[in-house]
Amino acid sequence: MTKRAIEVEHLAKRYQIGGHRELQYKTIRDTLASLVRRGETRSVRETIWALDDVTFSINAGDAIGIIGRNGAGKSTLLKVLSRITEPTRGHARLHGRVGSLLEVGTGFHPELTGRENIFLNGAILGMGKAEIARKLDEIVAFSEIAQFLDTPVKRYSSGMYVRLAFAVAAHLDADILIVDEVLAVGDASFQRKCLKKMEDIGQHGRTVLFVSHNLASITRLCSRAILLEKGHVERDGAAHEVVRFYLHSDLGTTAAREWPDPQAAPGNEVARLRAIRVRTHDGEVTEKIDIRKAVQLELEWDVLQPGHVLVPNLHFHNEEGLVIFITSDLDATWRRRARDAGRYVSTVQIPGNFFAEGSISVGAAVSTMDPVFVHFYEPDAVAFEVIDVLAGDSARGDYGGPMPGVVRPLLDWTNEFTPAGK
Amino acid sequence: MTEQSLPVIEIAPTSGWRALDLREIWQYRELLQILTWRDIKVRYRQTLLGVIWVVAQPLLTMIIFTLLFNRVAKISADHGLPYSLFVMAALVPWTFFSTGVTGSGNSLIGSAHLISKVYFPRMIIPASSVLAGLVDMAVTLGLVLAMYVWYAVPLSWSLLIVPLPIVVTAVLAFGFGLWFSALNVEYRDVRVVIPFLLQMWMYATPVVYPLKALPQKFHWIVFVNPVTGVVDAFRACLLGEPLPWARLAYSAAVGIVVMITGAFYFRRVERLFADVL
Repeated sequence: MTKRAIEVEHLAKRYQIGGHRELQYKTIRDTLASLVRRGETRSVRETIWALDDVTFSINAGDAIGIIGRNGAGKSTLLKVLSRITEPTRGHARLHGRVGSLLEVGTGFHPELTGRENIFLNGAILGMGKAEIARKLDEIVAFSEIAQFLDTPVKRYSSGMYVRLAFAVAAHLDADILIVDEVLAVGDASFQRKCLKKMEDIGQHGRTVLFVSHNLASITRLCSRAILLEKGHVERDGAAHEVVRFYLHSDLGTTAAREWPDPQAAPGNEVARLRAIRVRTHDGEVTEKIDIRKAVQLELEWDVLQPGHVLVPNLHFHNEEGLVIFITSDLDATWRRRARDAGRYVSTVQIPGNFFAEGSISVGAAVSTMDPVFVHFYEPDAVAFEVIDVLAGDSARGDYGGPMPGVVRPLLDWTNEFTPAGK
Repeated sequence: MTEQSLPVIEIAPTSGWRALDLREIWQYRELLQILTWRDIKVRYRQTLLGVIWVVAQPLLTMIIFTLLFNRVAKISADHGLPYSLFVMAALVPWTFFSTGVTGSGNSLIGSAHLISKVYFPRMIIPASSVLAGLVDMAVTLGLVLAMYVWYAVPLSWSLLIVPLPIVVTAVLAFGFGLWFSALNVEYRDVRVVIPFLLQMWMYATPVVYPLKALPQKFHWIVFVNPVTGVVDAFRACLLGEPLPWARLAYSAAVGIVVMITGAFYFRRVERLFADVL
């Protein structure tokens, strides 16, 4: 007999987007001012459905992975199911005690000791004092920080901090565990330990809802996966099938943009952008790029007025909005040479093992360099996601943890070895 | 695991006013305890200066008030008390009230990281802010008692009633704190208004002056003000005078009304917290 642990029906969540968070809250001053100018209607803010009619149910004891691109609604779903935010429509029913780990070490206070933080964090996660006291030894043993238990956590290394935080979370006695990406922390051996602990949780009849970008851990931990896309369930089925579908899909791609109407295309009377595409090294248009493989960017543009020296250039930004680099067309054929009117397709190839993992957005421009004049610049023209499948032959090697850095080159290392005692 | 034993959590959009759900708050009482304990511990551990500050702040305030209002403005205490003692006795409940209101009023914004990551009854946050102020208050109360010894003013048995006005002050602070904290999430300029409002409020409370020094026509302001009752009652306890029961009852009544309405308003806007913060 299977029991339902989670039932989600037509769940929807709408957010207002104003570009900046500041626009979301009001001030008394504004409210009073708008009372005075009653006639004027306030401008209607744009809204976005982060979740749009999501329906699924999960049996007790199942481990389910939630996957999808950034902004597909994964985090919103977890927040609604954790009761952090209310849905706009629809409803959900959860049977059992819910433990949600949307972050490791929520509420940890740097001034407090490890022991104090165990109690604090445990209470925040919903454990009773007696329960924490009972599990204290186990938690300390799991965290491997016994000798620093009475040291303020501000003196901990980030690894120790994460181990302690996860140890508390891992001992949360819940029927349903809602987990967001928390495994993307810690060193490889501790990660393995956490994965093991999560597998144990699954086998003890607990229901686990798990969001991760790490597709390998999804297929390993979860029997079933749900693919979210633009707030709705795009695919729901066996984990490996859904993951495979996701990797080969081209869902509402951000990898290509075309401007069929020349009037609407970015540009001026000299040059106009008509299309831009992200392709794999073998020419397939895709927004998912294997970190090890080269990626091509293709710019299709029209020159309307002959006689100008025109240089296409691309600006690559990472998720933090940092410019990774800018590249411009130095093709000798057109270098310092006025372009004839007509259609140009300019392509640049960026080698594999260059970008770091994550979303890359690309701005496209055509400029004249001397003197500098920008004929058009289309920010965020296309975007793609760089994915490391953790096969061991990328710059990560065998390391599975978070890896900062703007680029991720695979470099040659050599070792000179002198045997001991010589 | 029997089917019946599992709690069922229903998640659905709500609108309008919501029930207070006191049972749930009771279930989370250990979290309230531990958050209060955290605030206290952090404040007193962080620096030696932190501890000194707790003593120095009321002392310096008292000295400045004494210089300003007693020496310069020639306001004197009633009952023949030294003015400094008179002010200090009022500063204990007033400071507890004003730090409670300020602390809880800003508490949700300060705890945004918790609110956006974990579910628990949000009311616990402003409540723990008020409770954490109790320790500071105890320290100041200790200072007052030390001053009694210093001035050789006899202590009275009515000192034992002191917890009563303290509880009423806590209710008032929590009530206004609930309103301000919820308003603060919705309207970000509340944060700027609170300190100004409290400053005005202090002058509308007989803290630096005895009631009889105030012209009759302003008395209504002081009597409408619910903090007057607790300040008067607190002084009366310390001085062994008959308690102003009627005024204290009025303070308690206002406190309860503000707390209950504040709690309902809080529950009403609570659902926005995670999205706005």
